[in-house]
Amino acid sequence: MEPILPESAPCFMEDVILSRFKEIEISGAGIGLRSQHYQQILDNKPNVHWFEALSENYFGEGGLPLYHLEKVREHYPITLHGVGMSLGSATSLNTNYLAKLKRLVDRFEPAYVSDHLAWVSVNGKYLHDLLPLPYTEEALTIVAEHVIQVQDFLGRTLLIENPASYLSFNNSEMTEWEFIGELSKKTDCHLLIDVNNIHVSAINHGFSAIEYIDAIPSERVREIHLAGYEDHDTYLFDTHGHRVHPPVWDLYEAALERFGPVPTLIEWDTDIPEFSVLMEEAAHSDALLEKILS
Amino acid sequence: MITLQQLQELFYTSVFEHGSENHTTSKLGHYINETEGLSSIDHFNIYKGSITASLNRALREIYPVCNRLTGDNFFNAMGKEYMRNTTSRSADLANYGEDFQNFIASFKHTENLTYLPDVANLEWAWHRAFHAADESSIDLAALGKVPEADKPHIVFYLPVSASLIASEFPIQHIWQVNQSDFEGDDRVDLNEGGIKLLVWRKDYTMRIDPLDDVEWCMLKEIGTGHTFDTVCTHLCKHDPVLDIEKMLPILVQRGWISSFSIDD
Ligand SMILES: [Fe+2]
Repeated sequence: MEPILPESAPCFMEDVILSRFKEIEISGAGIGLRSQHYQQILDNKPNVHWFEALSENYFGEGGLPLYHLEKVREHYPITLHGVGMSLGSATSLNTNYLAKLKRLVDRFEPAYVSDHLAWVSVNGKYLHDLLPLPYTEEALTIVAEHVIQVQDFLGRTLLIENPASYLSFNNSEMTEWEFIGELSKKTDCHLLIDVNNIHVSAINHGFSAIEYIDAIPSERVREIHLAGYEDHDTYLFDTHGHRVHPPVWDLYEAALERFGPVPTLIEWDTDIPEFSVLMEEAAHSDALLEKILS
Repeated sequence: MITLQQLQELFYTSVFEHGSENHTTSKLGHYINETEGLSSIDHFNIYKGSITASLNRALREIYPVCNRLTGDNFFNAMGKEYMRNTTSRSADLANYGEDFQNFIASFKHTENLTYLPDVANLEWAWHRAFHAADESSIDLAALGKVPEADKPHIVFYLPVSASLIASEFPIQHIWQVNQSDFEGDDRVDLNEGGIKLLVWRKDYTMRIDPLDDVEWCMLKEIGTGHTFDTVCTHLCKHDPVLDIEKMLPILVQRGWISSFSIDD
């Protein structure tokens, strides 16, 4: 009988057998790994299903960050989430970046590797922010080439995340969800749907969040993100510095109805709270995931 | 039709464009949709503000003491000027700000803060050591077994995390009293004299070790990567009474020399 590989396992059977870690697959709610919580996590081994590490935080050659990630990984499955791949750059990808990412992937065996539908740099000059694309055929071709290049290099499927955005270009030829649908068809990539980002962008650009969710090819969705935004009066700003807001929980339920019980991350990047606050948010997410399962 | 590359280049230039001369920004504005309550430029400015804020945050995390010494407003203004002058070439923000001390030294508003570039130098050395590769300590058994004939050809290495820093100001004292957990008298007399330091990491512990003149000279010379023979010749020229044979084991024992090789 053919061995059946779990969805999230590395591509080659040898890797599974040789894995240093007990767990690779993820399910349920996970929490974004932040340095403020390392000690607490390692001391108390809280009941969290998985952690998401920000890839670039572990690009150094050594020192405490990698030490802590190693320790966390001994007890939990992880995913690697990046902000610096710049898949939307009109100019070529940074191969040095990809080499560093591959080194991390090989060492820590994440369930998933993800980055954003955005550009961060042009001509090798970095702005260090997730910048929006015009949704044109030209951009689609470029992003698809980059996704394929990365997937070939890493030897695994990427998860692409929808960004939160604060401007839209008037030369766009399609909607963001059409662009994402086409991209996933062209590259066979998987999707990380950030429900908070959909809500933020829907308010900022005046589209229907439900229409967006309904258009996503659900069979490709492997992960969901939840976070808190800030209301700046004329627009919503995605600070990742608050609890998940009620309309985002509502949208999340709609997303689960459509995508099924997809592993869900609680993201928090600014004004990092006590770990217990993240645990509460994760428990809420877990309750909704259970509801869908039953 | 504007190409994606042209649009991104326009965006990049607009981010660092000065307030009054906003030709590029208004050109970019033609491609951005307006919404109720926000013009196309307003939309762009959300990004401009968040990019500036995150680069400033990155500088603040690497240079917390410089930030404390100058205050948030001054530090942010200095950061903005730095951004306009310095292109970030790495996807990893931890590599941003390496030459900040040179910028501070040339920044006209820091003329009275003569010690600030050296404090920045210390903070970068700390940051670099924090992320440097892990390293085990020197293999003393192997060192003991080096044949007598090979000894002149030994090349000693400082820890990969190490930076040697000298200042005519008491920068270690300044650094100490500006740590968030510091308690006590935080006054520093700028005339208390200069200092020589080795900033490095021993396993996972950060170290700032003050050096005397002899230690400084030896480590500086060893840091050039010359063979022990050459190192000794240079040091003797500089200080004929220096007892290198006595000093070397002390440097090794303190962890300031972390490895060696035989140059053939
Ligand atoms: Fe996200």
